[in-house]
Amino acid sequence: MPKIDAHLHVFTKVSPKFPREVTALCPAEREEPVEKLLGEMDKHQIDQAVLVQIGGTSIQHHKYLVHCLQKYPDRFLGIGVVPINHPNPDKHMSELSEGTGIIGFRLFELGGPRDIFATKGVRNIKAYKIFEYAAEHDYVLWLYPRSIDAHLLPFLIRAFPQVRVVLNHLGMTPGKGKFDLDELGRPRIQVSGYNLNMHTTYRLARYENVMVHLSGQYAFSKQEYPYKDLAGWHGNLLNDFGSKRLMWATDFPWILEEPGYGELTTVVEKLLPNLSESELADIMGGNAKRFLRFPNRNS
Amino acid sequence: MNRPTTEQKKQWEQDGYLVFENAIQDSELKRLQSVFDFWAAECKEEWLDKVEAGEAAATFYDIPNPLEKDTIFIDIIDHPSYYGTLMEFTEDDLILLGPQVRTVAPWPVSYTGWHPDVGKDNPLHIKVQIYVNDVPSGGGEFGFVPGSHKPDSGPYKRPLLQQSMPGHKTFPGKAGTAIMFNSCGWHASMDNVTDEPRKSIILIYEKRTQGRIGPTQFAAISKYCTTPERRKLFSLPD
Repeated sequence: MPKIDAHLHVFTKVSPKFPREVTALCPAEREEPVEKLLGEMDKHQIDQAVLVQIGGTSIQHHKYLVHCLQKYPDRFLGIGVVPINHPNPDKHMSELSEGTGIIGFRLFELGGPRDIFATKGVRNIKAYKIFEYAAEHDYVLWLYPRSIDAHLLPFLIRAFPQVRVVLNHLGMTPGKGKFDLDELGRPRIQVSGYNLNMHTTYRLARYENVMVHLSGQYAFSKQEYPYKDLAGWHGNLLNDFGSKRLMWATDFPWILEEPGYGELTTVVEKLLPNLSESELADIMGGNAKRFLRFPNRNS
Repeated sequence: MNRPTTEQKKQWEQDGYLVFENAIQDSELKRLQSVFDFWAAECKEEWLDKVEAGEAAATFYDIPNPLEKDTIFIDIIDHPSYYGTLMEFTEDDLILLGPQVRTVAPWPVSYTGWHPDVGKDNPLHIKVQIYVNDVPSGGGEFGFVPGSHKPDSGPYKRPLLQQSMPGHKTFPGKAGTAIMFNSCGWHASMDNVTDEPRKSIILIYEKRTQGRIGPTQFAAISKYCTTPERRKLFSLPD
């Protein structure tokens, strides 16, 4: 069974060839190119990966992602980004996906009422059009919604059971004002001691088209690798979603310096020590291959 | 004080729950509904801000510190409809752990899966859920697995669908209905497929253990606790 890293980012320095936005997370001169990633993957026997767009939402901003996907078509699948307020999300998604290796799109907002009691009709949620287009074109939706949007998910997922959905980073839905960068310049999300996501994203376990990737531990944990304070969180996800609906991911490059790519390849077995060999193999790549339809290597 | 009948005691032992229809009724129920709605509306924006900040669940909310907001929330703690039964089951050594005055939004999925609250080695832990509005079948009604509180029951596993829990029973009911259950038994809120929120009050009690609740926990309502029985219930000093 292949080992597949189900969520990571690559980017180059800002250039005319590969334009991107400059942020505190991705300064202009920083680069984390695909060759560096491949070096880590080969060193640790990781076969394939999902490259997730970073550095902007426009078509132009996706140029490096598309370049990587086209250069290494049997190693990577891609996830683009579609802004919730895009006037023509269908055009944006079509243009990015046709012949590029981009199989789906990431959403950070769902565009509905902040008040769950005011949610009247799924069609009124802005992301409805994106889900509808994803259903028509078999795109995967890669979701990392804000806490205030989390309650909208089941309305959309129920309306489009054919759309494959991946909840990012342990099913987390970050709160407003809870995101910053740590001393290593990587994302840090403040989470409450009591895991409130069990009342929203965990409840989506009943929908069989929903998967969760196990990643981003460094951003949520108050401890060093292997982030033992998150063991219960992982256990709950395993209990609710089962071993066939979880996917391991590193969130490269944010883990390169601390704790290192190699360490991340064993984080699942450290946090879920009772997994059987086949369950671990599923989480480490089998599920991603099946759910995301990865090609065979060297195909 | 109304003590439970032999039949009720038998059912409690065997099934782990009791239902008190019309536990709250008439003008008292109307006042409870009115106070509930007022404070739920007052507290909603603060809750939404917390949801946005990732500090509260998006699917339900509780009125903060309800005992300090209106005396009716105190009066239902030792309400005669079920207080004698609580006392009987805890050998007259009952304490309140806290109330949850809860509004649950209609949502495609129940806000909570099947679970027990405590282990079977915990001191007797009892909850009383009072429906503030009518809760029909499919309206987020309470569900319980009869007998799941017994030491030799189970093991149980949380199913993906609420209605798939083996042996469960659901409890639709009229406003004012109170359902008492042993909270080491498996329970849940069923899916709410209506357009109406479920409004209920969940009172949490336990058989007293030393130091479980400190003397300051309910100090803010001390002036409303003038009888020795009530002071004991709220763990207030004599």
